[in-house]
Amino acid sequence: MTIVALVLLFSGFFFIVVAALGVIRFPDFYTRLHAAGKGDTLGIALFVLGLAVYNGFNFVSLKLLLIVLFVFLANPIGGHVLSRAAFRSGLKPWTKKGE
Amino acid sequence: MITDKLLLTFLIALIVIIFLMLFRVLKGPTVFDRLNGLGVIGTDTIVVLILLGFLEKRVNMYVDIAISYGILGFISLVVIAKYFEGKGDVKP
Repeated sequence: MTIVALVLLFSGFFFIVVAALGVIRFPDFYTRLHAAGKGDTLGIALFVLGLAVYNGFNFVSLKLLLIVLFVFLANPIGGHVLSRAAFRSGLKPWTKKGE
Repeated sequence: MITDKLLLTFLIALIVIIFLMLFRVLKGPTVFDRLNGLGVIGTDTIVVLILLGFLEKRVNMYVDIAISYGILGFISLVVIAKYFEGKGDVKP
Protein backbone atom coordinates (compact mmCIF):
# COMPACT_ATOMS: atom_id res chain seq x y z
CA MET A 1 0.00 0.00 0.00
CA THR A 2 2.86 2.40 0.72
CA ILE A 3 4.19 1.66 -2.78
CA VAL A 4 0.97 3.07 -4.24
CA ALA A 5 1.22 6.09 -1.96
CA LEU A 6 4.85 6.61 -2.92
CA VAL A 7 4.09 6.47 -6.64
CA LEU A 8 1.20 8.93 -6.21
CA LEU A 9 3.31 11.27 -4.08
CA PHE A 10 6.22 11.41 -6.50
CA SER A 11 4.07 11.79 -9.62
CA GLY A 12 2.01 14.50 -7.91
CA PHE A 13 5.15 16.31 -6.88
CA PHE A 14 6.49 16.01 -10.42
CA PHE A 15 3.40 17.73 -11.81
CA ILE A 16 3.57 20.49 -9.18
CA VAL A 17 7.19 21.21 -10.17
CA VAL A 18 6.31 21.16 -13.87
CA ALA A 19 3.39 23.53 -13.29
CA ALA A 20 5.60 25.87 -11.29
CA LEU A 21 8.20 25.90 -14.06
CA GLY A 22 5.41 26.46 -16.57
CA VAL A 23 4.11 29.47 -14.70
CA ILE A 24 7.57 31.02 -14.67
CA ARG A 25 8.86 30.27 -18.14
CA PHE A 26 5.86 30.67 -20.42
CA PRO A 27 5.91 33.78 -22.62
CA ASP A 28 2.35 35.00 -22.21
CA PHE A 29 -0.29 35.34 -19.53
CA TYR A 30 -2.69 32.87 -21.10
CA THR A 31 -0.06 30.16 -21.45
CA ARG A 32 0.97 30.72 -17.81
CA LEU A 33 -2.64 30.44 -16.78
CA HIS A 34 -2.84 27.28 -18.82
CA ALA A 35 0.11 25.76 -16.97
CA ALA A 36 -1.04 26.89 -13.52
CA GLY A 37 -4.63 25.77 -13.95
CA LYS A 38 -4.05 22.31 -15.32
CA GLY A 39 -0.65 21.22 -14.06
CA ASP A 40 -1.15 22.48 -10.56
CA THR A 41 -4.57 20.94 -10.14
CA LEU A 42 -3.39 17.52 -11.26
CA GLY A 43 -0.23 17.73 -9.18
CA ILE A 44 -2.06 18.65 -6.00
CA ALA A 45 -4.80 16.09 -6.67
CA LEU A 46 -2.26 13.28 -7.05
CA PHE A 47 -0.19 14.46 -4.09
CA VAL A 48 -3.11 14.71 -1.70
CA LEU A 49 -4.47 11.42 -3.02
CA GLY A 50 -1.12 9.83 -2.18
CA LEU A 51 -1.33 11.27 1.34
CA ALA A 52 -4.88 9.96 1.68
CA VAL A 53 -3.74 6.47 0.66
CA TYR A 54 -0.81 6.73 3.08
CA ASN A 55 -3.20 7.77 5.83
CA GLY A 56 -5.21 4.56 5.50
CA PHE A 57 -8.97 4.14 5.59
CA ASN A 58 -10.46 6.54 8.15
CA PHE A 59 -12.46 9.72 8.43
CA VAL A 60 -9.52 12.03 7.91
CA SER A 61 -8.60 10.57 4.53
CA LEU A 62 -12.23 11.16 3.54
CA LYS A 63 -11.61 14.86 4.25
CA LEU A 64 -8.42 14.66 2.22
CA LEU A 65 -10.45 13.32 -0.70
CA LEU A 66 -12.83 16.24 -0.16
CA ILE A 67 -9.88 18.58 -0.59
CA VAL A 68 -8.92 16.83 -3.83
CA LEU A 69 -12.49 17.25 -5.10
CA PHE A 70 -12.51 20.90 -4.06
CA VAL A 71 -9.23 21.69 -5.81
CA PHE A 72 -10.46 19.88 -8.91
CA LEU A 73 -13.54 22.12 -8.96
CA ALA A 74 -12.02 25.40 -7.80
CA ASN A 75 -8.86 25.71 -9.87
CA PRO A 76 -10.45 25.60 -13.33
CA ILE A 77 -13.09 28.10 -12.22
CA GLY A 78 -10.35 30.40 -10.94
CA GLY A 79 -8.53 30.05 -14.22
CA HIS A 80 -11.69 30.78 -16.16
CA VAL A 81 -12.48 33.92 -14.17
CA LEU A 82 -8.93 35.16 -14.55
CA SER A 83 -8.79 34.58 -18.30
CA ARG A 84 -12.17 36.25 -18.83
CA ALA A 85 -11.11 39.25 -16.76
CA ALA A 86 -7.83 39.50 -18.68
CA PHE A 87 -9.54 39.14 -22.06
CA ARG A 88 -12.21 41.69 -21.13
CA SER A 89 -9.55 44.25 -20.27
CA GLY A 90 -7.87 43.91 -23.61
CA LEU A 91 -4.97 41.50 -23.09
CA LYS A 92 -4.19 39.99 -26.49
CA PRO A 93 -2.85 36.40 -26.59
CA TRP A 94 0.79 36.00 -27.58
CA THR A 95 1.34 34.88 -31.18
CA LYS A 96 4.34 33.06 -32.61
CA LYS A 97 5.20 35.95 -34.94
CA GLY A 98 5.93 37.88 -31.77
CA GLU A 99 4.26 41.16 -32.68
CA MET B 1 9.14 3.64 3.48
CA ILE B 2 7.38 7.02 3.82
CA THR B 3 9.38 8.42 6.72
CA ASP B 4 9.19 11.87 8.24
CA LYS B 5 12.36 12.77 6.39
CA LEU B 6 10.66 12.20 3.03
CA LEU B 7 7.66 14.34 4.02
CA LEU B 8 10.04 17.00 5.29
CA THR B 9 11.89 17.14 1.95
CA PHE B 10 8.55 17.47 0.15
CA LEU B 11 7.63 20.30 2.52
CA ILE B 12 10.86 22.19 1.93
CA ALA B 13 10.65 21.67 -1.84
CA LEU B 14 7.09 23.04 -1.83
CA ILE B 15 8.18 26.10 0.12
CA VAL B 16 10.93 26.70 -2.47
CA ILE B 17 8.27 26.41 -5.20
CA ILE B 18 6.11 28.97 -3.40
CA PHE B 19 9.04 31.40 -3.40
CA LEU B 20 9.48 30.75 -7.12
CA MET B 21 5.83 31.70 -7.55
CA LEU B 22 6.55 34.86 -5.56
CA PHE B 23 9.05 35.70 -8.30
CA ARG B 24 6.25 35.51 -10.85
CA VAL B 25 4.02 37.67 -8.64
CA LEU B 26 6.69 40.38 -8.40
CA LYS B 27 7.77 40.27 -12.04
CA GLY B 28 4.45 39.68 -13.76
CA PRO B 29 3.85 42.46 -16.32
CA THR B 30 0.08 42.57 -15.94
CA VAL B 31 -1.97 42.50 -12.77
CA PHE B 32 -3.48 39.21 -13.93
CA ASP B 33 -0.08 37.50 -13.86
CA ARG B 34 0.14 38.55 -10.25
CA LEU B 35 -3.30 37.13 -9.55
CA ASN B 36 -2.34 33.92 -11.28
CA GLY B 37 0.81 33.63 -9.16
CA LEU B 38 -1.18 34.27 -5.98
CA GLY B 39 -3.69 31.61 -7.02
CA VAL B 40 -0.93 29.06 -7.39
CA ILE B 41 0.56 30.09 -4.03
CA GLY B 42 -2.88 29.69 -2.46
CA THR B 43 -3.36 26.16 -3.71
CA ASP B 44 0.21 25.15 -2.86
CA THR B 45 -0.21 26.24 0.74
CA ILE B 46 -3.06 23.71 1.03
CA VAL B 47 -0.53 20.96 0.41
CA VAL B 48 2.00 22.57 2.74
CA LEU B 49 -0.62 22.65 5.50
CA ILE B 50 -1.52 18.99 5.03
CA LEU B 51 2.16 18.02 5.08
CA LEU B 52 2.58 19.95 8.32
CA GLY B 53 -0.32 17.99 9.70
CA PHE B 54 1.34 14.71 8.78
CA LEU B 55 4.63 15.78 10.31
CA GLU B 56 3.03 16.72 13.63
CA LYS B 57 0.74 13.67 13.68
CA ARG B 58 -2.38 15.86 14.10
CA VAL B 59 -3.78 15.46 10.62
CA ASN B 60 -7.45 16.12 11.39
CA MET B 61 -6.73 19.60 12.74
CA TYR B 62 -4.57 20.61 9.78
CA VAL B 63 -6.95 19.17 7.20
CA ASP B 64 -9.70 21.48 8.42
CA ILE B 65 -7.33 24.45 8.27
CA ALA B 66 -6.30 23.47 4.73
CA ILE B 67 -9.92 23.17 3.56
CA SER B 68 -10.90 26.58 4.93
CA TYR B 69 -7.73 28.14 3.54
CA GLY B 70 -8.45 26.71 0.11
CA ILE B 71 -12.01 27.97 0.12
CA LEU B 72 -11.03 31.46 1.27
CA GLY B 73 -8.19 31.63 -1.25
CA PHE B 74 -10.43 30.60 -4.09
CA ILE B 75 -13.25 33.02 -3.23
CA SER B 76 -10.84 35.94 -2.88
CA LEU B 77 -9.24 35.07 -6.22
CA VAL B 78 -12.63 35.16 -7.93
CA VAL B 79 -13.65 38.45 -6.32
CA ILE B 80 -10.37 40.21 -7.09
CA ALA B 81 -10.39 38.94 -10.68
CA LYS B 82 -13.91 40.27 -11.19
CA TYR B 83 -12.86 43.60 -9.66
CA PHE B 84 -10.02 43.98 -12.14
CA GLU B 85 -12.25 43.04 -15.09
CA GLY B 86 -12.24 46.46 -16.73
CA LYS B 87 -9.43 48.18 -14.84
CA GLY B 88 -6.45 45.95 -15.69
CA ASP B 89 -3.42 48.11 -16.67
CA VAL B 90 -2.99 46.13 -19.85
CA LYS B 91 -1.15 47.71 -22.77
CA PRO B 92 -3.27 46.97 -25.89
